[in-house]
Amino acid sequence: MKRILSSVRDGRGFDITLVAFPLAFLFLMAGLPLIYNVVMSFQEVDMFSLGTFSRPFVGFKNYTDLFAQPETWPILGNTVIFVVGSIAGQFLIGFGLALFFWVNFPGASWLRGLFLVSWVMPGLVVGAIWNWILSGDFGVLNFILKESGIISSNIFWRSDPHFSLYAVIIANVWLGTAFNMILLSVGLSGIPGDLYEAAELDGANAWQRFWTITLPMMRSTIGAIIALGLIFTLQQFDLFAAITSGGPNNSSNVTQYWAWDLSFRQYDFAKGATISVIMIIFVMFASVVYVRSTRHEVRG
Amino acid sequence: MSDTTRNRIMLVIAILMAAIYLFPLYWMYITALKGGSEMFATPPSFWPGDPQWGTFGYVWESRGMGRYLWNSLVIAVGAVTLITVLGVGCAYVLARYRNVWVDIGLFMILMLQVLPASLMVTPIFVGFSQLGMLDYPRLAVIIAIAAKSMPFFVVLVRATFMAVPMELEEAALVDGNSRVGAFFSIVLPLARNGILVSAILIFMQAFGEFVYSKSMIQAAELQPASVGLNSFMGPNTNEWNNIMAYATMYVTPILAIFVLLQRRIVSGLTSGALK
Repeated sequence: MKRILSSVRDGRGFDITLVAFPLAFLFLMAGLPLIYNVVMSFQEVDMFSLGTFSRPFVGFKNYTDLFAQPETWPILGNTVIFVVGSIAGQFLIGFGLALFFWVNFPGASWLRGLFLVSWVMPGLVVGAIWNWILSGDFGVLNFILKESGIISSNIFWRSDPHFSLYAVIIANVWLGTAFNMILLSVGLSGIPGDLYEAAELDGANAWQRFWTITLPMMRSTIGAIIALGLIFTLQQFDLFAAITSGGPNNSSNVTQYWAWDLSFRQYDFAKGATISVIMIIFVMFASVVYVRSTRHEVRG
Repeated sequence: MSDTTRNRIMLVIAILMAAIYLFPLYWMYITALKGGSEMFATPPSFWPGDPQWGTFGYVWESRGMGRYLWNSLVIAVGAVTLITVLGVGCAYVLARYRNVWVDIGLFMILMLQVLPASLMVTPIFVGFSQLGMLDYPRLAVIIAIAAKSMPFFVVLVRATFMAVPMELEEAALVDGNSRVGAFFSIVLPLARNGILVSAILIFMQAFGEFVYSKSMIQAAELQPASVGLNSFMGPNTNEWNNIMAYATMYVTPILAIFVLLQRRIVSGLTSGALK
């Protein structure tokens, strides 16, 4: 007993104690739910069997039922559009801004940091603001678009099924652009300056320097940011809750909102768990890509 | 073109872009000050003609915002405390050793970090209700947030510990300090700033958390401000000035913290997420 105590105070035991509690906590509160999720997706769960562990197993019935539902494929399609649209918007605008702020001028780093307010705000607040900006009759975005002649009549962003998904994408692009820009800036500042000097001496113009130096040197950063973007985009829930609630008629529904909706609105916990399992496999795939592209950092 | 002119032009363009980007925030503040008819005027006014400062007091009273913000604060402080107590030691050990086990541990931590909350809430809710933990809904939310955000904290704080030279700790050990003593009197003080910044980031996240609170807290008097804002926004609401006033009071403290500590938060964030 004494030996254990002194080891905790002054030896290997100290490290093991420090790391054991957090890992046990993470296993109990994140690992076990993950396993439980998979188990539930093979069970029949309703309001009556919610409190007990002994629920009937139904095999792959939840999965086959899920894909027999007419809304499943459209919602999966929406998720793809949402992910691709959000990442493309965030990345391209973020890259443009990062390149602009890369030119060093007084105040650049402070102004650049200011962009990040979009990222620290609660998602619900961002959603509320965009809900009001995108409002059909009185929204300021419609006013600006009409004044500049881009559209001739109001777009009902939230209630028109053709636009509702794009309403959320616009808000999500705004939310994520700053984060993309900051990380891309870090990557840009890591490129050695003498590469550009050498290229300039060789007579390469700005366009050629961008394609032959900046992009290749940024490859692992870009990979990591796209993977992170995929992870964050699939976590986006608050904006859906605040802007469209997945409607009208599922036209802006995506899997991460649908899973919650099934569990907590329709009390179909088994279906909610089933979608969760499918999506978590996707997310884990993305995170493997992320870990691989930051591996040199992780290994230290 | 001289350097100063170029710098000035760049600065003007940068400010212009920041203004465009931050326009939604401006619109929130402006709408909060507008009266009922001015809000729906066409064309919309970009400066409130007759600022209605009374809206804030009215919304604060009628929506019971004091209670909502208090609950948000309780949840955020609880989550940050739990994460800091558990996460700092974990990050320290993961920074101090480099072997296969550390790699595996880090990989698993990164994996847990990416699980979307809206997907994990189903098993957590069912499990917690079976354990009877939903009788203490705020505690349940704190634990759920801690499990969700701790990996992020560990990754950030680990980067801080890596910057603390190991020689300092070894010198303290040679001088007769125990491991515990060296950790608390040498390593922790040196890593204090990084830990603080990471804790603030976690605080801001937890202060705006929505999915877990919405799903697990049924009693209105225990709900945080994010859930309160959600129930304020019905499908056909037209009280946008009141909603924006609510959002203003909710978000301004966070923005104030951020603007004050901006430089540190940005550098802390970038050092952990990727380098």
